[in-house]
Amino acid sequence: MWFEFKMAWRFLMSGKTQTLLILLGIIVGVTVQVFLGFLIQGLQQDLINQTVGTAPHVFILPEANAPRMLTEEESSYSRTITFSGKQTGLSRWRKLSSDVEEIDDVTAVSPTIVGSGFAFRGQKSLSTVMRGINFEQADNIYNIKENLLNTQTADLGGNNILIGSSLAQELELSPGDSLKLRTADGVTDSFFIAGIFDLGNKELNSSWVLMGLNRAATFLDMPNKISNIELQISDVFKSNQIASQIRRNNPRVKVESWQENNQQLLTALESQSSSSLVIQVFVMIAVTLGISSVLAVSVVQKSRQIGILKAMGTNRRRVGIIFLIQGAILGLTGALIGSMGGIGLSKLFVNVVRDETGSPLFPITINLNFILISIAVATLAGMIAALIPARNSAKLNPVEVIRNG
Amino acid sequence: MAKSLIEINNLVKVYGQEVKNKVLHSISLEIEKGEFVAIVGPSGSGKSTFLNLLGALDQATEGEIWINNQLISDLDDLELAKFRNQNLGFVFQFHHLLPEFTAKENVMIPDWIEYGAPTVDKKERAQKLLELVGLSDVTDKLITKLSGGQKQRVALARALMNKSPILLADEPTGNLDTATTEKIYNLLRDINQQLGTTFIIVTHNQDIAAKTDRIIRLVDGQIESDKVIEK
Repeated sequence: MWFEFKMAWRFLMSGKTQTLLILLGIIVGVTVQVFLGFLIQGLQQDLINQTVGTAPHVFILPEANAPRMLTEEESSYSRTITFSGKQTGLSRWRKLSSDVEEIDDVTAVSPTIVGSGFAFRGQKSLSTVMRGINFEQADNIYNIKENLLNTQTADLGGNNILIGSSLAQELELSPGDSLKLRTADGVTDSFFIAGIFDLGNKELNSSWVLMGLNRAATFLDMPNKISNIELQISDVFKSNQIASQIRRNNPRVKVESWQENNQQLLTALESQSSSSLVIQVFVMIAVTLGISSVLAVSVVQKSRQIGILKAMGTNRRRVGIIFLIQGAILGLTGALIGSMGGIGLSKLFVNVVRDETGSPLFPITINLNFILISIAVATLAGMIAALIPARNSAKLNPVEVIRNG
Repeated sequence: MAKSLIEINNLVKVYGQEVKNKVLHSISLEIEKGEFVAIVGPSGSGKSTFLNLLGALDQATEGEIWINNQLISDLDDLELAKFRNQNLGFVFQFHHLLPEFTAKENVMIPDWIEYGAPTVDKKERAQKLLELVGLSDVTDKLITKLSGGQKQRVALARALMNKSPILLADEPTGNLDTATTEKIYNLLRDINQQLGTTFIIVTHNQDIAAKTDRIIRLVDGQIESDKVIEK
């Protein structure tokens, strides 16, 4: 292969301007392809992060029960039946929690008690979602500690609670103040505000009240039971798979995944990926055609040399390989420089295009696998582009070339 | 099995599919090792066609060519390429060197084709061949920087690189002046005598032909005469 490589290299170097021009074409093509790939990946990653980055990916819930009849009163004129719509809750949740923690991809498990109610201050009352949590476990999912506004500690012992920033603003509350809460069942109690959080989500900031799991159990009347177990997993796109696995092992609970609950978002992401792929494919086709046309011209330009090489004992296959190597060199060099161009353009985009606060619109991560795939595809495209010129070169008759001088 | 270095039996070459043009008519001859043969004849007599067939660059329509006891028509493309590389050296009228390479690199190309990256020995051999043809001072110059005579001498050195037993030359001095022609001829003769290489030269130059060992005259694709020159 040394001989074929030497010939290919010299042929490329002998037409420097031509080689540089086609190389420039490949570089631009690969730069656009890599940049576009990173842009779409960054955009999608950002969307996914915003949607599920600090949210559970899988929920384990109690099986929804039909309303349960509590009492029946009958008179000669009427019949009154009272139903309870209250969920039964997860009873054997401790074992279930430790079981799901054993699953490889599960990164965080948070047993939670959820109840609705109201927060009062003076004349004002606002509806709230009261959540009983084990702080350390919930923090792994929601990054609460990082998002505390006025304190770095978050003690949820006793009657301590954490509330959302919008709720605090609305009720003009600060850490250290007390707040009266009332459940949907009418149970009322006063709590002490240990901290205020901003989770970057308006709905959560205006309604969530976090308290200790044990305090929620008594306040929301859920002794020995919890509302659900929330899970985060390492690969967010495995949520369906993990949900199925939990469902299989625990047929008496209901398991939901974020993918099942966000079908529209996933369809949008898929459409975005498809259109990005189509653009990238067309860019690569343009690059391939560019290489092919330049090499086709090169075969005509070098026909005399090819004839001489054949006369001196180079067989057809080896002559063809010389042009395949030229295609590979062009593709590989163009891809290497183009990838760097793509990375540079991505960095430039992150640094130049910013939102009102001066932060990047979304982060772009340099994906090494994507770069390697792009380089491999461009090199392969270069070789495919060289196939027809290589075949034509192999067909050249040395006698014709020698006769025509 | 052929007894001579080259044995040609009833060689016929026809060009064209619908309109057939018979260029060579049943040529038979034998050439021994170390002979210095001139092929002469008017334009269109089939000299170059004959040389191309002998050089395994083209296929005969009928007949046999045996070189070094090998029937050429038995070889496929891969074997033919290897056979050419190891047995035949070519010198063409238009030198046909590769302009992308230096004089020394051009000389080494037949070796590269067969063996790949050159060893020190091979580089030294190329250098010695260039010295043999009187070009020791231009070995690292690109072909485009050399004169016509120099190029032709590089082509000769290249033809000798793989120690081919047979050297085929088609009008090797066709584009050169008389003095350079004389030099090239003397060089060919020296190589023939020193290395025992068999030379078959197609030429219009009567003076050159007269200095060879044997003159084969082709007319209308047939051997009109085949004379051994008495020295």
